[in-house]
Amino acid sequence: MFDFGAFSDALGIMATSAGSWGWIVPGLIVGLVFSAIPGVSITMAMAIVLPMSLYMDFFSAVVFLTSVYTGAGFGGSVPAILMNIPGSPASYATTFDGYAMSLKGQHNEALGYALFASTICGIFGYLLLLLVVEPLADIVLGIGPVEMFAVAIWGMLLLGSLGSKYITRGLLAAALGILIGTVGMNTAGFIRGTMGIPNLLDGVSPVPAMIGLLAAGQLLTLASKDYIIDAESSREVSLKRILAGCWGTMRYPGVLFRGSIIGIIIGAVPGVGSSIGNLIAYAETKRTSKDSNTFGKGNPKGVIAAESAVASAEGGSMATMLALGIPGGGATAILLAAFMMHNIVPGPSFIQSQKPMVYAIILNNIVQAIALLGVGIGFIYVAANIVRVRTRYILPVILVVATLGTYAVDGQVAGPITLFIFAMLGFALVRYEYPVAAVVVGILLGRMLETEFLRSYQLSGGDPLYLFQRPAALAIVGIMLASLGMTAWGKRKQAKQEAEEEAAMVRLQQEQAVAGARK
Amino acid sequence: MRIGNHTYKVDYGHLIFLTAIGGYVTWYLTNTMSVSTHVNNILLVAPVSVFALLMLLCVVPQCIQRADAAEEQAKPEQYDPLSPKLPTERRQVARMLMLGGALGVFVFSLAVIGFDVAIFLFALAAMAICGERRPHHLVPFAAIIAVVLVYGFKALMPYPMPTFFL
Repeated sequence: MFDFGAFSDALGIMATSAGSWGWIVPGLIVGLVFSAIPGVSITMAMAIVLPMSLYMDFFSAVVFLTSVYTGAGFGGSVPAILMNIPGSPASYATTFDGYAMSLKGQHNEALGYALFASTICGIFGYLLLLLVVEPLADIVLGIGPVEMFAVAIWGMLLLGSLGSKYITRGLLAAALGILIGTVGMNTAGFIRGTMGIPNLLDGVSPVPAMIGLLAAGQLLTLASKDYIIDAESSREVSLKRILAGCWGTMRYPGVLFRGSIIGIIIGAVPGVGSSIGNLIAYAETKRTSKDSNTFGKGNPKGVIAAESAVASAEGGSMATMLALGIPGGGATAILLAAFMMHNIVPGPSFIQSQKPMVYAIILNNIVQAIALLGVGIGFIYVAANIVRVRTRYILPVILVVATLGTYAVDGQVAGPITLFIFAMLGFALVRYEYPVAAVVVGILLGRMLETEFLRSYQLSGGDPLYLFQRPAALAIVGIMLASLGMTAWGKRKQAKQEAEEEAAMVRLQQEQAVAGARK
Repeated sequence: MRIGNHTYKVDYGHLIFLTAIGGYVTWYLTNTMSVSTHVNNILLVAPVSVFALLMLLCVVPQCIQRADAAEEQAKPEQYDPLSPKLPTERRQVARMLMLGGALGVFVFSLAVIGFDVAIFLFALAAMAICGERRPHHLVPFAAIIAVVLVYGFKALMPYPMPTFFL
């Protein structure tokens, strides 16, 4: 499982190619800056710097590109926390509690929590990868459409955590989101709901739709404010408070561990990526927390859960790429291209013949995660100053950057138009108290739900008992049901306790009243 | 609206919104069915559409409330970021709507007048809507935004960006 000889050779590679280490900090900065721009994806950031890596030797190129990847993994959470606009879908769950913390003047701490969770779980993800890179490949090969469908359903369960005042409106919003997510040509080749618009053949682009929906709920309302955060005392940018947030992360080892495990497993599944991992990690943390009613209102555990899943998913998707040669998403596809440009083909034979190099790549990623802590603190110290700028200056910039970001997705004006249409939909949803988050989750997962449902149906021939032939899918469904059951049981117990306490208080008040009357 | 001894309050805006959602879902379902009724086409869309319409029917009664219940609900609540509320003050709403309108004009004019001019005009309008009135702040800042963002995104994107001046 773990090859000590190869590990010591890997340390040798690390020591002899110390020059490559110089690419870590520039790579991290590129990743942080690009991914903090809403709409500019990790894939795009890596694609832009890919040609530069052609002139480097293989190890330096991999170090540079993976540094961009590591930086970009965290960078998306900065606008999510400060402005409620996730830099990428992977940072979506970070907005729930991150922005709420910002509104309470705890943006320094929120950024600290996110950064440290990213760093620790990034390291944890790669450490685990070091141990299980080979067996993980076998597990990934065993994952089929039924398991993917179960994972997508698990992601949808987040809706139960979104705590809408009206359940029916939440469910209607989710169903609408799923339907919007299925517009266009499905896997079987049927074209629906495009209204004859060619841009919709590939479906509604989720990034502009997501930014539009969120922009209406939050950004446009900022027009009536002088600053993003009202209270002047709350607008300070404090290194001490950022570090306090970093340190505070250590108080929640369970949240970090759970988020990491979910992130690694989901991240390792090709095509799923961290955009679901953060939702599931958030939902599971909320479900199992005693203070679940404070989630969405600025609970640090929400930020930590989401960020830990995003950071560790990177290790998971690297495992699939290194062990199988299958890219889990756009970013690992760019990495794969970089490998191939240096005439190296990742996969089972690469792991067998080049194990020291594989270990060296993983070890270097651990170094990058540690370096991210220093570079990240500097970056968020600068970025957090955004709350000190008056909205009349910052709001036009944010709106233009968000709009140009949606144009950057595919270079068509359809992106900005989608943003505007969904901003209007978001405006109506907020006005009539529908959870916007339910529509966003529906759009993000709708296509995947349909694709995997369809594949599962075709494989099983419509027989629901086929599920029993898939132990992994059964395990996922089992964990999901057990988690739901435990939550229901916990809530019932909590309600019973609260009722008992209330009854005791009423009894006490009655006794005091009787005693007072006797006196 | 008065029925019997009780006065009811109807949220017509919400009803119109629900009608729009219902109309879209019904259209999407019929469009899907007209393409093909093969199970590979309707496997997810048909049940989810029916479910959405059922939920919609459950929401409709929420648009009609007894007047006293509506007053009870109008009490101030604690802020919940997962269910943000829109501002209610007329001036704030007007600013928000104007900014939304400016955003609409901006996105539809991008390809027509060029990204540079559209960004400059939108930044100018957005700053004015947000309360900036000093011309010596408005014009230079809008121009800086346009120049920096156009050149920045041109360097960043692999796609062409139609511009008028830059």
